[in-house]
Amino acid sequence: MGTAVGAGAIRPRSTAAPSALRRNGAYLAGLSPAAILLTLFFVGPSIWALYTSFTNKALVGLDAARPRFVGLDNYQRLLSDPDFATVVLNSVVFVVGSAVIGQFVLGLLLALLLDHSERRRYRFATVAYAAVLLAWVNPTVIAGFLWVAMYDFYYGSLNTGLALFGLGPVDWLGRFPMLAVIIGNVWRGTAFTMLIFLGALKTIPSDIYEAARVDGANTWRRFWDHTLPSLRPIAALALLSITMSTFGTFILIQTLTNGGPGSQTEVIALYAFHEAFRSYEIGYGSTIAVVMLLLNVAFAIVYLRWSRARA
Amino acid sequence: MVEGARVSIGSEARVQTIVPPRVRPLGAGSRLEWVLMHIAFVVITVFFLAPFVWLFTAAFDAQAKAYIRFPSQPTLDNFVQIFDKYAFATALGNSVFVAVSTMILTVAVVALAGYSLSRIELRQKAWITYAILLLQTMPLSATMVPIYGLARELGLRNSYLGLILVHSAIELPFLVWLMKGFFDSVPRQLEEAAWLDGRGKLRALFEIVLPVARPGIAVAAGLSFLSAWAEVLMVLILVDQQNMKTIPLAFYETFRTAGGYNEVQYGLIAAMGVLYVLPVMAVFFATRRLMVRGLMNSTRGL
Amino acid sequence: MEERKVSLSRRAFLQAMAATGVVVACGTSPSTAPSGSAKPATVSGTVTVSYPDELGAKPKYVEKAAADLKAKYSGVDVKIDLQKIASGDYYTKLLLALSGGGDVPDVIHVGGDRIGELADAGYIEPLDKYVSQWEDWKNYPQAVKDGVSYQGKVWAIPYGLDMRWLYIRRDVMDKAGLGADWTPKNVDDILTAAKAVKDKNATSIPYALYAGVGADTGTANHSFVPLVWAYGGDIIDKTSGKWIGESPAVKKALDYYQRAYSGGLSPKEILTTTKPWTSMREKEGNGQLALLFEGGWVYGGWQSSNKAETEKNVHYVLHPTSAAGPSFTIGGPGTVWFVTSKSKNKDAAWAFIAQWNNKDTVAKLNIEDPHPVARSDSADVAEFKAQPYLVDSTKALEKARFIPTDANYGKVIGAIQKATGSVAAGEMSADDAAKRYTDDLKRAIGADKVITQ
Repeated sequence: MGTAVGAGAIRPRSTAAPSALRRNGAYLAGLSPAAILLTLFFVGPSIWALYTSFTNKALVGLDAARPRFVGLDNYQRLLSDPDFATVVLNSVVFVVGSAVIGQFVLGLLLALLLDHSERRRYRFATVAYAAVLLAWVNPTVIAGFLWVAMYDFYYGSLNTGLALFGLGPVDWLGRFPMLAVIIGNVWRGTAFTMLIFLGALKTIPSDIYEAARVDGANTWRRFWDHTLPSLRPIAALALLSITMSTFGTFILIQTLTNGGPGSQTEVIALYAFHEAFRSYEIGYGSTIAVVMLLLNVAFAIVYLRWSRARA
Repeated sequence: MVEGARVSIGSEARVQTIVPPRVRPLGAGSRLEWVLMHIAFVVITVFFLAPFVWLFTAAFDAQAKAYIRFPSQPTLDNFVQIFDKYAFATALGNSVFVAVSTMILTVAVVALAGYSLSRIELRQKAWITYAILLLQTMPLSATMVPIYGLARELGLRNSYLGLILVHSAIELPFLVWLMKGFFDSVPRQLEEAAWLDGRGKLRALFEIVLPVARPGIAVAAGLSFLSAWAEVLMVLILVDQQNMKTIPLAFYETFRTAGGYNEVQYGLIAAMGVLYVLPVMAVFFATRRLMVRGLMNSTRGL
Repeated sequence: MEERKVSLSRRAFLQAMAATGVVVACGTSPSTAPSGSAKPATVSGTVTVSYPDELGAKPKYVEKAAADLKAKYSGVDVKIDLQKIASGDYYTKLLLALSGGGDVPDVIHVGGDRIGELADAGYIEPLDKYVSQWEDWKNYPQAVKDGVSYQGKVWAIPYGLDMRWLYIRRDVMDKAGLGADWTPKNVDDILTAAKAVKDKNATSIPYALYAGVGADTGTANHSFVPLVWAYGGDIIDKTSGKWIGESPAVKKALDYYQRAYSGGLSPKEILTTTKPWTSMREKEGNGQLALLFEGGWVYGGWQSSNKAETEKNVHYVLHPTSAAGPSFTIGGPGTVWFVTSKSKNKDAAWAFIAQWNNKDTVAKLNIEDPHPVARSDSADVAEFKAQPYLVDSTKALEKARFIPTDANYGKVIGAIQKATGSVAAGEMSADDAAKRYTDDLKRAIGADKVITQ
């Protein structure tokens, strides 16, 4: 390495090997635009949120006029709120259901399906592919409305479909709210994992397939012994990525159930939003956000350990 | 080296990163397989497309409701109204401008940052990479208030610059991480060859690495466009003036206020939705192969 | 613009005015006595008026007031900032603007129930020095004045007051065998009637009882609080000023919720949709919903889309108590205009508000968007008197009870939403929810401000 000093183009300042700064200088410069934006819009606000979580700042009322430093009071209040346990549980259920089981598994299955159909030259696969993509690229606000139309009790598409088979209407949002939002979110997000796995599948050398075929291994064994292991590292990263983003989803849930009925679908991201902008208690809302961040960090550590252990 | 990659070293060589190996066709499968697979396709298509039926029926329905019903008299009136009374043309224009500009800015920033992060020699690089990714998990509801204050101090509210900067920032952590992964999969031999030839780092980047990085750039471009196109919360706090609103804001406003106290004009919302969704549909479908390659390379490098 | 603090004696005031030759008309129509009071010597500079509008009725009056003000004072310029967003979002953005530095509008338009919290935050300017010299202020009944007072000061000028009705669909009641003129004998009778509707007609929604987060302030104002009053209790103890948590009336009210929701009498949709008000109002208007306790202004929306049908089929009565039939309503100051404390041109801001709140504007706007008028002379305007609905609404105010202006009401509403939401969703029994209500209140506003009975 260290080939920056080449054919007379650069006058070395010293005869010693170029310092780390010299080698990395250009790269540091290249990072600076991103670093500026990230500092302004992420690091700065995060530090602000952390600080605010130790105050009782509000946007209105006495605490707006004279906010005070309250130390860990907000955290105490959060942890002593029976709703908090419910909210965390809901979040875990939602993430496991939507990201782990739904998007991950479904994305993998779809990728396998589409990859296989490409080898078999089934043209119709393109339509399915387009349908999955379409669900992903449409903005969340639209997705919310689309699924409200599906789940409506009296005239929604699902219940109308059930009626065609002579089955009674189901109060999806009233009786199965978590399932309803999970399905909606899976519908929305599966394309991403599908794309990742599609790409990963293409890099699996066909040689291995050929060798296995020659060996006489059937499709299932080929899949289990060769395909899956090759996908593992990517799977871990895909899982990490969608877990983190699912943890922060709330617009879809807000449109479908607004956390309800009661608090049955109140996930932590929505809870933070409600607390911050309904009662305008910014300090308390920031507390919830900090806790969210910590939970995400915990998830990330778990995943990284898992992926490193396997790889 | 993975089969299928053809990499040559030499300044004039046309180089390629990992290209998906030509898919070796397996020949036609059994009848049963064909039937099962096609049933699967139909099920998938129906599941993923069914919700859109509402969008396309309600948009042409003057009495649209929140559920699917086939309009008794299909009409284009909703589309006319959103342009006439709800300034949709302004919103559309703003959205396109902001999304495209965001895309350009983001691609430039993340390509540079991803490449730099990939090539930099730092002991804590792995930690920094994950820290960047984790930044994105800070929920918007907490950052909205300080960003509002920041935007106001810097005069970024109600301005294109403000919208573009904030929209770029939102996806930045994830895209930087993705781009780093992508550049990790681009062998360093390429630039090193160029350096040996006497080109500076920047030139090497532009002339040698970037052409190879097209799929990654495509992914960054696509994802940043998509994120900017869909962003609603940040627009809510950044924009008050009617002439600066983007489609998500127009959409949200129409949902909340059209129809007064007692009803929601779902027809208008659906009409906006149709125009909102079609452009991204088209673009993404057209560029899907590029996207897949880009995503593939981004994730294998990590 | 420099703030003009007017602290001249009245005599010096009149002398100054005579000297400058500026005739100050006190923002009223030609028929009332003009001139000579309540205005500083000159009003000039820019005044920014910011307000949200959902119905579409206000802009022309705002523009008219702006034009009239400009005609009166040549040095004044009015910048109108109409925000086409819902009032909830407007309030959020307003608070963000008011809490930071930078420019704020001079005149804002917010619900009067927010007076306490806005005043505590120091965002709004007390108007006593202006109203004490405003001729028209004598036209506002004392109860109305009390509704916009907090800590002894007047903070806003109301124009259209809130009141609520129990709306009953005559056609649905008839079909359910209860007769088109059915009225409840007491509060439990509502549930009985709802059950009858449900039994006789599977596609009708019997009753809309707001609960949970989505119904926003409606959960408190249009459901919980009237029920607590109906059962003989209150949500705040007027003598000590403390909020009441668990109490017999609260338990009975939550039990009412439990009966309504577990019996399928009120739709679960209220608990999951983001705009339950709109959905329920729409359904009452087209006959799919039988019973709804909602704002009086909603009737106007139904009237404007289908006058004949609404007048024929929508019956409106007061809210019953647990022992007696329709007998009270819940009132409120309505949405009002405030002057911000950071305004750089408070005199002009006041001048705009005074200009806007003239007898005719108040009357006309409240005909379009039906509310009882805040000033009694507007009630005498011919067009206003000619509307039977408006006459009824105004009369109903005599039976109105009010929630006192308290800065913590917003947080109390949050606790109410949680309690009603969990009972309605079947997550908790009424008794447990009442206990939780006390805990939530204490957590939200401090244990020293909460008592139980």
